[in-house]
Amino acid sequence: MTDIDEAMLIALVDGELDEVNRRRVERAVAADPALAARLTQHRSLRARLAGHYAPVAQEPVPDRLRAVLEESATVTPLVRTAPRWRNWAMGGAIAASLVLGLGLGRLSGTEPGSIGTRDGVMVAQGALATALDGQLASTQADGPIRIGLTFQRKGGGWCRSFDGAIAGVACHEGEGWQVQQALPGAGQNTAYRQASSADARVMATVDALIDGALADADREKAAQAKGWR
Amino acid sequence: MSFERDLLAILPRLRRFAASLSRDRADGDDLCQAALERGLKARDQWQPGTRLDSWMYRIMRNLWIDEARARQRAAHTFAPEEAGAHVGHAGDRDVEAHMMLSDVDRAMQALPQEQREAIALVLVEGLSYKEAAAVLGVPMGTLTSRLVRGRGALLELMGEAA
Repeated sequence: MTDIDEAMLIALVDGELDEVNRRRVERAVAADPALAARLTQHRSLRARLAGHYAPVAQEPVPDRLRAVLEESATVTPLVRTAPRWRNWAMGGAIAASLVLGLGLGRLSGTEPGSIGTRDGVMVAQGALATALDGQLASTQADGPIRIGLTFQRKGGGWCRSFDGAIAGVACHEGEGWQVQQALPGAGQNTAYRQASSADARVMATVDALIDGALADADREKAAQAKGWR
Repeated sequence: MSFERDLLAILPRLRRFAASLSRDRADGDDLCQAALERGLKARDQWQPGTRLDSWMYRIMRNLWIDEARARQRAAHTFAPEEAGAHVGHAGDRDVEAHMMLSDVDRAMQALPQEQREAIALVLVEGLSYKEAAAVLGVPMGTLTSRLVRGRGALLELMGEAA
């Protein structure tokens, strides 16, 4: 062999040589059949190893591994990433029951157009539908309706939690939003906001529906851009 | 939340790395699960802006080393002295598992650990020498000599047809 050692040869195969050295090794290989044969061996070894394990990265991830991440995503980070929810949970019991009492009235009263029924299911309308369609949790201002969490549900499809006069979860179905849950919400004025007791129940619904992790700001935005389809 | 999402995105590659280190796919997934759990627990130690895949490779590799050490200790404790030469490969379960393995799996398993992990990171995972050396915490020269020796051994084990 020439002065080209094994390390140089495999560095060529691994794409680790700079231009000058690459040329030098290639010239040596062209002039030395034994070296060329060795290079071929190394190339096919790399290809065979890579090819052997490649299918592992292409097959679907087993459920048990996915579950490790999902459990973690639905339990811990909610507190980290959505502190709003925690604050809402801190309301006193008296204030909470006050809102509950008022809330039922509101459900049918102050926002008559927010939830309607179509073919026997609750659907979002009016301001609620507009908020679900267009409002991003990451950028929303203090409005009458606040969007909480955005996530994909088991079986596919986007869902979002909301709070306002009514709190709950709605999932995108066909052309609109099917309301999965509607509870008296925290209300839009600050006096009532901290009194909401809806969030624990809303969270239970989110937990029951969610598939995978909660959408972060980027995914929320991307999903909205695609019309929640 | 985006931490889990990022882990999910690299999970297929983590599984592949685990498979190339482990004796078989089931062991690989066990290793992968342990690494995910460890990574989630240690999430505060990961520095955003650095590579999550390298960080997870390192976690997985350390777990793998620990586990191999524990297995070796157990083998030393329970196997008779003469069996010492086969420590790490002894046991009926191993023999059985071996029969199901391909040439590649078998050859990879025959490599010393430090060569196998180097080969796995560079040839299977496609890391650069610099990245692989960082994951393993060794100088570049150490990495390249392990790659040379490991490849020589693999070519021999797998025959000229490799």
